[in-house]
Amino acid sequence: MAATRRATTWAAIAAAAALALAGCGGGGGSGGSGSGAGNGGGSTGPINVLVGASAQYPEQQKEWFTHIKDVFKQRTGADVNFETFASAADEQTRIQTAVVSGEGPDVYSLGTTFTPVAYSTGAFTKLGPAEWTAVGGKDRFTPATLAMSGPNDTDQVGVPFLSRPFVMAYNKALFQQAGLSGPPTTWDQLVEYGKKLTKDGVHGVAVGYADNYDPWKFVWMYANQYGNPLIDGKQVRLDDPTVVRAYQEYFGLLTEDKIVNPEAVGWSNPQALASFAAGKSAMMLMTTPTSIPTLDASPIADQYVYAPMPAVPPGEAALPAGGRPATTIVSGDNIAVADYSRNKDLAFKFVELVTSEAEQAHYTSVFGDLPANAAAATTIINSNAKLAPIIEAGKGAVATPFTGAWSEVQLALTNVAVQSRPELAAGAVPQGAIAGRLAEAQQAAQQALDRAGQ
Amino acid sequence: MTASTKQDAPSGEAVANAPVGRPRQSRHDAVTAVLPGWLRVVVLTLLVAAVTIPVGYILVASFMPDVDVANGQIVPDEITTQNYVRMWSTVDLAGGLANSLVVSGIVAIISAMIATITAYCLVRFAFRGRLTILRGLVALQSLPGTLLLLPIFVLFSSARTYLDITIIGTRFGLIVTYLTFALPFSTWVMVTYLRGLPRELEEAAMLDGCSPIGVLRRVVVPLSWPGIVVAAVFAFLLGWNDVLFASVMTRPETETVAVALQVFGLSQEGGAIPLYGQLMSSALVCALPVVVLYMIFQRYLVGGLTAGGVK
Amino acid sequence: MPAGAVRQARKAGTTGRPLWLMAPGGLLIALVILVPAVLALWMSLLQLDQYSLRTWLSAPFVGLGNYVEAFVGSRLLHSVWVSVAFGVLTTLLTLPIGVAAALAAHNAFRGRALVRSVFLIPYVLPSFVTATIWRTLLQPSGAVNESLSWFGIDGGLWLIGDRSFWTLVLVDTWAAWPFIYLLALAGLQVIDREAHEAAALDGASWSQKLRYVVLPYLRGPLALAVIIATLSHINNFTLPYVLFGSPAPRPVEVLPMLTYTTSFQTVRFGLGSAMAILSVVLIAIPLFIYLRAVRLDTGNRAGER
Repeated sequence: MAATRRATTWAAIAAAAALALAGCGGGGGSGGSGSGAGNGGGSTGPINVLVGASAQYPEQQKEWFTHIKDVFKQRTGADVNFETFASAADEQTRIQTAVVSGEGPDVYSLGTTFTPVAYSTGAFTKLGPAEWTAVGGKDRFTPATLAMSGPNDTDQVGVPFLSRPFVMAYNKALFQQAGLSGPPTTWDQLVEYGKKLTKDGVHGVAVGYADNYDPWKFVWMYANQYGNPLIDGKQVRLDDPTVVRAYQEYFGLLTEDKIVNPEAVGWSNPQALASFAAGKSAMMLMTTPTSIPTLDASPIADQYVYAPMPAVPPGEAALPAGGRPATTIVSGDNIAVADYSRNKDLAFKFVELVTSEAEQAHYTSVFGDLPANAAAATTIINSNAKLAPIIEAGKGAVATPFTGAWSEVQLALTNVAVQSRPELAAGAVPQGAIAGRLAEAQQAAQQALDRAGQ
Repeated sequence: MTASTKQDAPSGEAVANAPVGRPRQSRHDAVTAVLPGWLRVVVLTLLVAAVTIPVGYILVASFMPDVDVANGQIVPDEITTQNYVRMWSTVDLAGGLANSLVVSGIVAIISAMIATITAYCLVRFAFRGRLTILRGLVALQSLPGTLLLLPIFVLFSSARTYLDITIIGTRFGLIVTYLTFALPFSTWVMVTYLRGLPRELEEAAMLDGCSPIGVLRRVVVPLSWPGIVVAAVFAFLLGWNDVLFASVMTRPETETVAVALQVFGLSQEGGAIPLYGQLMSSALVCALPVVVLYMIFQRYLVGGLTAGGVK
Repeated sequence: MPAGAVRQARKAGTTGRPLWLMAPGGLLIALVILVPAVLALWMSLLQLDQYSLRTWLSAPFVGLGNYVEAFVGSRLLHSVWVSVAFGVLTTLLTLPIGVAAALAAHNAFRGRALVRSVFLIPYVLPSFVTATIWRTLLQPSGAVNESLSWFGIDGGLWLIGDRSFWTLVLVDTWAAWPFIYLLALAGLQVIDREAHEAAALDGASWSQKLRYVVLPYLRGPLALAVIIATLSHINNFTLPYVLFGSPAPRPVEVLPMLTYTTSFQTVRFGLGSAMAILSVVLIAIPLFIYLRAVRLDTGNRAGER
């Protein structure tokens, strides 16, 4: 019968399609397996590790993956599978979907400012004495790097992995031409230097006003130096005069002091760095050692020097009473083990391996991120003049408040800068406008903090 | 309610009488031209310029160092071909391209198939709930992906917990997701297309003893290639361009090229400049396969009617 | 579908209505869209945030609390307004461009395949690539302002202030017109030759032919294109996100940016889901009024010959 034949044809097509699908499932499935389940519960691995993709050193990262895999296999007999995320947004989504479903990598590398949020999900293994011992003890880490491991000394989830303190970079040649010998030590001095350096198409400093993250770091830094930690116990203090002043000084670099290229209103951090790298700005603020690949490949490769940003706030000759000499947040990556992991023993052995002195020193030599391991850091201070000032800055790093509400505080602070940009472009941001936006930010942040306290 | 299936298509008589086996590209198709020659030239010139000038900039920028791109330069300080060399090792671009082609290709084929069948039922048969389905399909398009991301992930991962089927991280999971997201629109494309086709041919085929499926296969599909190609193109591009789902539902081996490309735009907070140069070169290289595929398939965009492909 | 059910459907379908053919599509949509949508609806009733995410099934039930907060305590209505304005304007701009492109690329000419493919390029580039490129082009001393300065025009700031809204419209227009073009081009293929010949015999001018012969045929595909294009502009997240960063400047604070920031950056999934669902409702109602007006779903076109 004709109808039967046709039905058979269709069935065949459907079957072929199903086979194609199944084939794909099979092919991908082998790759996707092993994130915990289906391994019989025994701690035989493999373990899956999620880290950020290195755009600058892709080959080296692949080699590092292989190297760690080999060493780990040798030591434990288990395999490590690395997965990478391509952006901070990507990382957050990966973590959130993993938390909600209880499925995903065993080990995560977490940015320090994201660690409080990750901690508050309760989805990462708490580090008790046994866990700390398993990763080689707290003593092996530079003390400042431990500040973002958890809300206090006994309640922690993140093991310090890498340190990326924020510093400034300056152009030695341009400094010499202007008769300046070293980096500024107060913000007033920085402005003074900036004015001397601003001439002949060169501007004093490069700032990325349109960056997604830079603005809040400036405001946090100034406010801390003026004596306001932004979160005081259960109280958010964004509507404080010190914060208004912080924004005024931050915008003032462009509008009052005129030491920033007016185009910086539209720059993100990479564009500011590009201006510095092209020799069109004499100083680059809010940068980290991971800017080295760009600078080393630029015309100023021999001219740039890193230095801590000044610790004395604008308009002051010395640190005000109650002020903290904060020049950088505790910045870098922690490494945390998922609570749902069925290979926790192995996971902590992995953490131990990558935070060991040898591996940390090796990592720094390849990627430029600084070690969290204290012994490895000391070696670098003594042997690497370029990185030494950054490590020094990192030792004095001040931790951002460890609360699940921090991401909202950060966002609220950035939002004030974002909404002020049109006025900044027009040449002046009125104090009243800043205060008004801060009132809104205060409300949002306080609500977030209240929820965190529940 | 009784849905009207009355067709408002142009007279089918002419079509039924259309000469059989007319060459695909009729030389006399000047009669089907709508715009006068000069206007066509103006429109084509303007649009080609609108596309090629920015794309030309991508081409120029793909030979620049990253700093020059970041500074927004038109004329680079130096010219380098390194971007085209390095991009292959910065990410697994070749693997990503292969994954994307496989995933999007399968999505395109299956969704066009299902859409054609579903649309055929929706257009040719009156049944209760038909209008609701048609409206519902459009309404589905208004659901944002960010709303569904988390629930879908939960659902797929529970398939593993309860059924021991791994979906997350496999191409299968991606294919099913994209396939389904493409369906409402693909179906609608086919609905509007099939409505334009005359019923007479189908009725004639039925009288000859064809089953509905036979009609679908022998009459409807051959007449619908332009619609099918468009439905497939959209389904393909949906999978090709998606980042949201692909970034959480893939593993390194199954990563699609859109996800891989993101690495070129990656910048560490306060870190190095993103690999803008490689972003430009890889964007061009990745657009190429799709453009070539379309160049091959666009000839099916000749109407089944004007092509006279009915036997 | 089990064979028995098939046979039964076949038997019942003496009128020849093989509706079981719709089962695969229906099943997929139910599993991958409808069930997650119901889950999302449930999540929107929970206080689902970083503190309850892990045990989300037992997250505190807050009823319509999130909806109230979305209305009262967030900029949802502002975002709906920005999104709808953006979506409608972009569609209005892409519509004539896409139709003109389809009409021009319809007939054979040397290099037509190439031109047709070139037209596809803006649509083929992943959104974030398009956005990155335009962000680079439009930066203060970028290529656009550089070129304008050759003609003595000061381009100014494209990505800051109220102008950023128009920048978003223009960039999305550049990226999205091929969508209309593709649909219109397919629609043109349905027009039968006789209609063209009749128009030629009547000595109709091209604008008459366009108005009385071509556009009536395109009405169905274009009505569909208008809806889908508007919806996809409204749901476009990547373009504004990469062009302007997050949090979004007020003039371009479109809905997906607001819900993304709420859901994924401040980790308030309950509130974010409520916002997304509210926005769907706010957009869906006008959509259905439009659907009825153009009679898209019944196929009875207004103004039929």
